[in-house]
Amino acid sequence: MREKLQIIAKGPWAYWVGAIVLAILNILVLVVRQEPWGITTNIEEWSVWLAGKLGLTGNPDLTLKELLLSDGTYLNLGVILGAFWATVVASQARFRPLKNKKFAVSALFGGIMMGFGARIAYGCNIGLVLNGIASSSLAGWIFTIAVFLGAWLGGKILLRYLL
Amino acid sequence: MLKKSQSSLNLGFSIFILLFLIFLLQLSTKLALIFALSLALGYTLQKSRFCFVAAFRDPLLVGTTKISQAVILLLIISIPAFFLVFQIASNLHLPIELNVTPFGFHTFLGGLLFGTGMVLAGGCASGTLMRVGEGFAMQMIALGGLIIGAFLGNSSLPYILNIFHEFPGVFLPDIMGWVPAISIQLLVLILLWLGIRKWQKSKRT
Repeated sequence: MREKLQIIAKGPWAYWVGAIVLAILNILVLVVRQEPWGITTNIEEWSVWLAGKLGLTGNPDLTLKELLLSDGTYLNLGVILGAFWATVVASQARFRPLKNKKFAVSALFGGIMMGFGARIAYGCNIGLVLNGIASSSLAGWIFTIAVFLGAWLGGKILLRYLL
Repeated sequence: MLKKSQSSLNLGFSIFILLFLIFLLQLSTKLALIFALSLALGYTLQKSRFCFVAAFRDPLLVGTTKISQAVILLLIISIPAFFLVFQIASNLHLPIELNVTPFGFHTFLGGLLFGTGMVLAGGCASGTLMRVGEGFAMQMIALGGLIIGAFLGNSSLPYILNIFHEFPGVFLPDIMGWVPAISIQLLVLILLWLGIRKWQKSKRT
């Protein structure tokens, strides 16, 4: 029993265990939320609000209060804090600085490409790959094939310029 | 290496989470439940080192397929489970919405950009959030990029929809019936799972 608790706390768990636990949690989110788990719609809402505050755009669609009461906000916050908790439980919490300055550039541009791509396609790996396919939606399959090709291209760039 | 225990940090953080959950419960049960579930999602992603980037990238980049197989397993469980939840909710006349989104060439273009970007950023959307929680500076920058990119995507969408035609969302069971739609999708995933397993074995020898 003690050993089992040790593994739950310290990890790592086998990938297939992760897949089954994630499947159950993802279904529970669908039941409670009455719509599937997604990440970037909420990030987009915050970005539009932020841009509005900075004077880059007109009236944002949502007010701060609406954003703070949106379940998407707590889905994203929870993933960050849950992952932090997982490192604390294993006494592994610490700041992990950049290994190399060029990774700052690739993280920034990679992030921008991801955010842009997710919002013109209406989803990310969670909203479109996982939950698009889980919803038997054609868009999920199209996006998944494109992400695979993009990852191949990204791998080429990674090998050529970054590693 | 002597590792310092973080049990007092753990205690303090657990109390903070508990208080925050109680606070959310005052606002709405749904928000508190969603927050608890997403904490568990973040915890699970971290403990199982689950990573969609690795699932897409590693088969071709380093030739490992363990995570890809786990992602396919996740999909194989999710398709029939989503169907069940959808049917039960419909029978009980409860509101439920699945992710059936409109699509066009921009879906493909978006996926291409997203796939390239996630490899460069070292994490997709969920992976970036998870690694921010783990304390990685790189993904804190990526999250900033994600926010900027989401805003740029939001502002350019009207122009993109002017260029590319958008088709209304296609819910596969609507065009072929429930049983064929689910069977065909599961068959594709199972064949893919078997295929990459065989491919990995052939690479090792």
